[in-house]
Amino acid sequence: MDAMTKLTINDRLVEVPAGTTVLKAARQLGVSIPTLCDYEGVKPYGGCRLCLVEVRLGDRRQITASCTYPASDGLIVYTDTDKVLKGRRLVIDLLWSRCPEVPLLRDLAQQLGITEPSFPKGDSDCILCGKCVRTCHELQHVGAIGIMNRGAKRQITTPFGEFSQVCRTCGACAFVCPTGHFQDIGKISGKTAKPKSSVFNAGLNTQGNIYRLYPQAIPSAPAIDPQNCIKILTGDCGLCAQVCAPEAIDYNQQKEAFDLEVGSVILAPGFKPFDASAIKAYGYGKYANVYTSLEFERILSPAGPFAGHVTRRSDGREPKKIAWIHCVGSRNFGAEAKAYCSNFCCMVSLKQSIVAREHLGPDLDMACFYIDMRTPRKDFEKYCVKIKDLGARLIRSRVHTIKEVNGSGDLEVRYVTEAGEVVDEIFDAVVLSVGMVMPPSTLELAKRLEVTLGPNEFVEHSCFAPTTTFRDGIYACGAFTGPKDIPQTVMEGSAAAAAATRRLASARGTLLKVTEYPPEREVAGEPARVGVFICNCGLNIGGVADVPAIVEYAKGLPNVEYAQANLFTCSQDAQARMVEMIEEHRLNRIVVAACSPSTHQPIFQQMMRTAGLNKYLFEMANIRNQCTWVHQNEPEQATQKCQDLVNMGVAKARLLWPLEYLTVGVDRTALVLGGGVTGMTAAMALADQGYQVHLVERRGFLGGNALKLHTTWRGGLVKPRVQAMIKRVQNDERITVHFKAMVTEVSGAVGNFTTTLSDGEAIRHGIVILAIGAEPFRPEGMYLYKENPNVLLSLDLDEEIAQESERVKKAQAVAFIQCVGSRIPERPYCNKVCCAHSVEDAIKLKVMDPEKEVYILYRDMRTYGEREILYTRARELGVVFIRVPIANPAKVEEADGRLRITVTDHILQRPVSFSVDLLVLATAIIPHQNAPLAELYKIPLNAEGFFTEAHAKIKPVEASTEGIFLAGLCHYPKPIQESVAEAMACASRANTILSRDYLELESIISNPIDENCDGCAFCIDTCPFKALTLIEYMKDGGVKKTVDVNPVFCKGCGSCMATCPKQGIYVAGFTPEQLSAQVEAALGLI
Amino acid sequence: MKLTSFAQLQQIKEQGLKLTYPDRIKIMVGLATCGISAGADKVWKALEAKIAELGLEVILEQTGCIGFCQKEPLVDVVYPNKVRLSYHSMTPEKAEALVTAIKQGEVFPDNLLCRLDREEFLVEGHFRAYANPHPPELPGEMIPRYEELPFFRKQVKIALRNCGFINPERIEDYIGRGGYAALHRVLTSMTPPAVISEVKASGLRGRGGAGFPTGVKWEFAAKQEADQKYVICNADEGDPGAFMDRGILEGDPHAVLEGMVIGAYAIGASEGYIYCRAEYPLAIKRLKIAIAQAEELGLLGNRIFGSNFSFRLKIREGAGAFVCGEETSLIASIEGTVGEPRPRPPFPAQSGLWGRPTIINNVKTWSHIAPIIMRGADWYSSFGTKGSPGTTVFALVGKVNNTGLVEIPLGLTLREMIFEIGGGIAGAKAFKAVQTGGPSGGCIPEEHLDTPVDYESLRALGSIMGSGGMIVMDEKDCMVNVAKYFIDFTKDESCGKCTPCREGTLRMMEMLEAITAGQAQEEDLDKLAEMADLIKLTSLCGLGQTAPNPVLSTILYFRDEYEAHIRDHKCLAKVCKPLITFLVDQEKCIGCQLCRLKCPGEAIQGGKKEVHQIIQEKCIKCGTCFEKCKFDAITVE
Repeated sequence: MDAMTKLTINDRLVEVPAGTTVLKAARQLGVSIPTLCDYEGVKPYGGCRLCLVEVRLGDRRQITASCTYPASDGLIVYTDTDKVLKGRRLVIDLLWSRCPEVPLLRDLAQQLGITEPSFPKGDSDCILCGKCVRTCHELQHVGAIGIMNRGAKRQITTPFGEFSQVCRTCGACAFVCPTGHFQDIGKISGKTAKPKSSVFNAGLNTQGNIYRLYPQAIPSAPAIDPQNCIKILTGDCGLCAQVCAPEAIDYNQQKEAFDLEVGSVILAPGFKPFDASAIKAYGYGKYANVYTSLEFERILSPAGPFAGHVTRRSDGREPKKIAWIHCVGSRNFGAEAKAYCSNFCCMVSLKQSIVAREHLGPDLDMACFYIDMRTPRKDFEKYCVKIKDLGARLIRSRVHTIKEVNGSGDLEVRYVTEAGEVVDEIFDAVVLSVGMVMPPSTLELAKRLEVTLGPNEFVEHSCFAPTTTFRDGIYACGAFTGPKDIPQTVMEGSAAAAAATRRLASARGTLLKVTEYPPEREVAGEPARVGVFICNCGLNIGGVADVPAIVEYAKGLPNVEYAQANLFTCSQDAQARMVEMIEEHRLNRIVVAACSPSTHQPIFQQMMRTAGLNKYLFEMANIRNQCTWVHQNEPEQATQKCQDLVNMGVAKARLLWPLEYLTVGVDRTALVLGGGVTGMTAAMALADQGYQVHLVERRGFLGGNALKLHTTWRGGLVKPRVQAMIKRVQNDERITVHFKAMVTEVSGAVGNFTTTLSDGEAIRHGIVILAIGAEPFRPEGMYLYKENPNVLLSLDLDEEIAQESERVKKAQAVAFIQCVGSRIPERPYCNKVCCAHSVEDAIKLKVMDPEKEVYILYRDMRTYGEREILYTRARELGVVFIRVPIANPAKVEEADGRLRITVTDHILQRPVSFSVDLLVLATAIIPHQNAPLAELYKIPLNAEGFFTEAHAKIKPVEASTEGIFLAGLCHYPKPIQESVAEAMACASRANTILSRDYLELESIISNPIDENCDGCAFCIDTCPFKALTLIEYMKDGGVKKTVDVNPVFCKGCGSCMATCPKQGIYVAGFTPEQLSAQVEAALGLI
Repeated sequence: MKLTSFAQLQQIKEQGLKLTYPDRIKIMVGLATCGISAGADKVWKALEAKIAELGLEVILEQTGCIGFCQKEPLVDVVYPNKVRLSYHSMTPEKAEALVTAIKQGEVFPDNLLCRLDREEFLVEGHFRAYANPHPPELPGEMIPRYEELPFFRKQVKIALRNCGFINPERIEDYIGRGGYAALHRVLTSMTPPAVISEVKASGLRGRGGAGFPTGVKWEFAAKQEADQKYVICNADEGDPGAFMDRGILEGDPHAVLEGMVIGAYAIGASEGYIYCRAEYPLAIKRLKIAIAQAEELGLLGNRIFGSNFSFRLKIREGAGAFVCGEETSLIASIEGTVGEPRPRPPFPAQSGLWGRPTIINNVKTWSHIAPIIMRGADWYSSFGTKGSPGTTVFALVGKVNNTGLVEIPLGLTLREMIFEIGGGIAGAKAFKAVQTGGPSGGCIPEEHLDTPVDYESLRALGSIMGSGGMIVMDEKDCMVNVAKYFIDFTKDESCGKCTPCREGTLRMMEMLEAITAGQAQEEDLDKLAEMADLIKLTSLCGLGQTAPNPVLSTILYFRDEYEAHIRDHKCLAKVCKPLITFLVDQEKCIGCQLCRLKCPGEAIQGGKKEVHQIIQEKCIKCGTCFEKCKFDAITVE
């Protein structure tokens, strides 16, 4: 087959190996010929006759099928003669008339100029191309189906029309069918064809046997499922290898074992959702419209099984009324359920109800059935309030049963209202908010690694070392150490990294691989050759705007040499293709029209460098966040706006020029503000990494709030541990503690800060960790606080318990009031710590004297995660929990020398009174006066005065200003364990900066234009980063004033450029010309 | 005994001649399918019984069809050293009378067709006279001589040389008339290229229809290098009204066998297949006997005639798909898969059965080979025309007086075929058209009757030679209906693999149905013609590529008939039922009530001796009244 053959196709010469068909030769030339029965994996057939061409060889002329005609020397082929086109028209006309409802035929007919079938319409959907039969015979070697009868009576069927005994239900027939004839391949074998369900989409839709887990998966290479691969199982088929041009398929790949030598191991194996079918009363697995929260999550996803269209599994109808049931498999006993709270599920339900409402419209009836609404994390409480405002019904009830209504798919939910009334309510769909369990494989892993697990099968650890297991050198994070939500697992990941590298610091950097980029291409002399890549972002963009139209539009813009659409431009394979396109089309400016530059620009800029281009020759048009997300209901205008945004991007890109990459050395010193447990933890972690640390404490001693705490929720004594920490910090020669010091002045930026303290000392440092803590709210005027000595705050009680005070011992009755000053409109957040804290103290009191009456007055018991066990224990010990709604708070009066408390019983709806000797108020945790510090370090505070992280999930401990990290209570109230973990996480993140010799700086910074600058210095006062200085130098015999830019300090904000009256300074990458061009494009002038 | 020498062959020949020409009276019955269907088996039984009854010392022998099917059952009486008399249209009663007459030493005087004084030994190139040197003295002097009958006069029987003269189930008879001498010659004194060059020089073209030069095809296959090659005999004769191959296989199977062994030697094949349709059980039976006999004598199998050449032959029975006459479909069918064509190239001569070089020739082609070898290319090409040398066999059927198997030198005109051999149109009706080539051919009108019958001339008229069907039509035939008939056939016989043939014939059928029902529009005719053209152009195999020929040729030559159907809603031949009306001739009807009683639709009114009337709404146009009326009182409009 090595011999080559030369032939001409449409007067163009082409050389192909002997034996190649004319069709393939034509395709090699890029000549398009329509086909129907041709299929690469099976032998040429020549049946449909759509691929007709005219061939001439010597005197011989004939119209023939190109899919079977062999190329030979001197062959002359025409693919578009009148006769050929007439023949194709007849073929497609005949087929379309036979199968008028097949879209493919309609499209092909229309391409050939046929608008209606010419012949009386048939009702078939099979064009008898025989691909199915040939695939079954030739590839599967099975022959489950064949062709029966002759002529027009021909049909595809099983032998004798009976169920095939040999059919493997492999589905190859349906796969190759061009018309969708095989609706149910089970009809061939008589067996039920069970499609392989998609792992990624929770089994809601099907997945091929060769699949990518999801479009952005890394690596993005497809994989073959060996459990279902006919080739691997039987040796038949092998189609994929046949059609894969790069010959990338290897059926013999085996699992390989690697031995790695490591200093530490981090375990982050995750969890599996609770199997909801174990709870029979809820009918999961039996009723089509009962979903798990994971399934519903996929349904809501634009990249999910139904492309974000929320429909019922039973009938494809949009649900109008959905119930979410919390605590499925959690806070429960029996039926494999777990006693603990899974922590994330309340929020999952709330979020899903809001997203579902966005999908299904404001009339969606949302009901969440919960026991306690647990939204303790930062900003979660606000979310909960918002949902109520949107009309969601939050129903405090444990649902009794779910039943389907007479096969209608509708579900009858039986529950008891708070007033004790039994209600049967019909819903269109029910979502079970399933909890988490440890999968057996994880338990097996733990056993093998000899990692101790606690009673709930989570890794045992201490609150002061939350990512350290009891086996030396092995660390754990995420769900493995207890139920938690995404921000916390992300943060813990960093914390575990810090813990695991602590003792490996000396080996840091020794196994690094440095990314090497090809030398940068010189583009200065070239005219702009712009490449435009338009992202569908799954359906985020493509589902709204007409992406092909945008591509076409882009192709028509000046200087655009190339434009294409991607499903996910950020995916690995798309990036690789972009590099290829840049090289193939010699592109020198790139515009990506996709999502947010803040998250994705760095990815594309790296791609630019891989392609040998300066990364500043890149421009992004945010057509998702700024267009399709906000114009979902106006697709046409959205398309128009996308086009405008692309036009603006191209207009600017045309004028971009390469910028020099700037670097700055790193001051490998850390500054930690706050000497509490959090600050000390961070300081120690950084010191252990070998850095010099300055720890600044405004008071004269270390320890912070923890000094008042008695035990952690796990029962560990706090004091000895804090004392040990203090000792360690004070003795560590790498840590310099500055007592009674405050920050007064800050300058510089990441890698090169200078912070001046109130004692006048200026510290040069590369990063800063803010861990300045918070303070308890003092509820003066409430519940007789400060009026009656027996009204205490939680921390006060802790101290008294620690000191075993007489009045605690003697108290016959103690009451706790939760949420004092928190979860109210002025302070719409939950403290996260107090429910567990009060329950913990209540248990201590009951243990101290079981005869003591202990009451806890709460709104929702938020003993999240494993703390739920404490709540259960407290109830077992006889602690009385009384739910007090916010609308009807408890009244506290002095009576007979005791404190008389009156509440309304929620079932009886009548007041109930009782007297106690001590009243403990679980008050809000409130931030210190954080504003001055926020101002100095230029980081935002939230409405409540806590520092704001850069991104709740992606960057949970970073401030929005680079090089500044947040940990502990100054970020948001949280228990010790989480503060410690955050401190570790901060150290870990800080390490990524401090460990470097230099940092790359952003080149988008101000550039003075000396000849325009007259030294007026307007810009210097305006600059928020103190990046500009006025300088003077001798020029032409006189003094010339001009400004100088500190590239480390300058953030490219553009204030100077806006201020300058003389156009004496500009920001690179945002020049007046570039911006004008964008404006002109926006106005339609380009 | 395995023959290894010419002398041994000669011995068999002598035995054969003794059997063929015994010294006693021999009664021969034409027991081919055509004869049997006319009642020859009953005649045979009657003869057998009567001979036994009378204790007559005669030999009763079966033979194949001599060609004059119209006159079957044919019984021949061979008087040793005298004459052979041929009786036609025999019945059991007449047969008994014949035996009685022989017993009495008389010549049975009825049903005499002709007398033969001599037989031609074509392969050897001489005649054998029954009475030598003096003609017999028989009262049959008045009987026409065989060679004088118009039916036989212009025929030259090469393929049919032995049909009707030998017992096809006896190899000795075949050898007696010079059989297997050609094979001996080839194996002992000719190289394969020499054989091919002889066949090439003869100008023999494939008699299956397309007329590809046989020698060229053989040469092509001979040049291919392969571990195995095949020869195949295409005996899947499927055209309606064609039975040439059957006639040869039933009458002279060894003629085909000998041709195939020679062909196999020429191209280097050691295996062969005869692909015969299962609807020819008698042919298959006789082939099996022939193969067994040839193997017995070492004329098939290992080391034929003691040479190094071996050849095995197998029979494959086709299940009756017309498309399996197409060579690639035939190959597929032999391979055991569905009989569907595959695209060419590659041609079977390059890649055929099981992917090996394969020669497929038709029954008639194969039966020409031995005479060509024995008599030489020049002799063969002296018959026929320059472009189409030799003879070919037609099944002449339809509205002619003489129907039957006819072997003519190519170049004879259609007029000679129909009006001389065929004896003109039956029932003194007017000739309208002749259809050649079966469903793949076209209809030729009167103005082209003087066209010579050869490949190119027929093609030029929009028809084809085909494998040899020739159907004569008269004024009572509606040409639109004829086209519809053939399209209906190809529609059902299309394998359905390719779209234009499968869907296109169906659509043509729908359009023809509309035309014959008077429901077509004028533009439909051009649409039909255009579609027919495109189906020819785009179909995968010969079936589809020729299926539209009947439509195209009738539109070309009989457009007026189409137009009458479409425009005037009239069927000029009064065939198409929706367009005709049966009426009672008021003058002629005597009110006999016969039509009224026979009418299945109770559509005829009228009492006894009253003029009847046809209620048109009820009339189903079955034509019963027309046929039954003894007074010509029913007319058709």
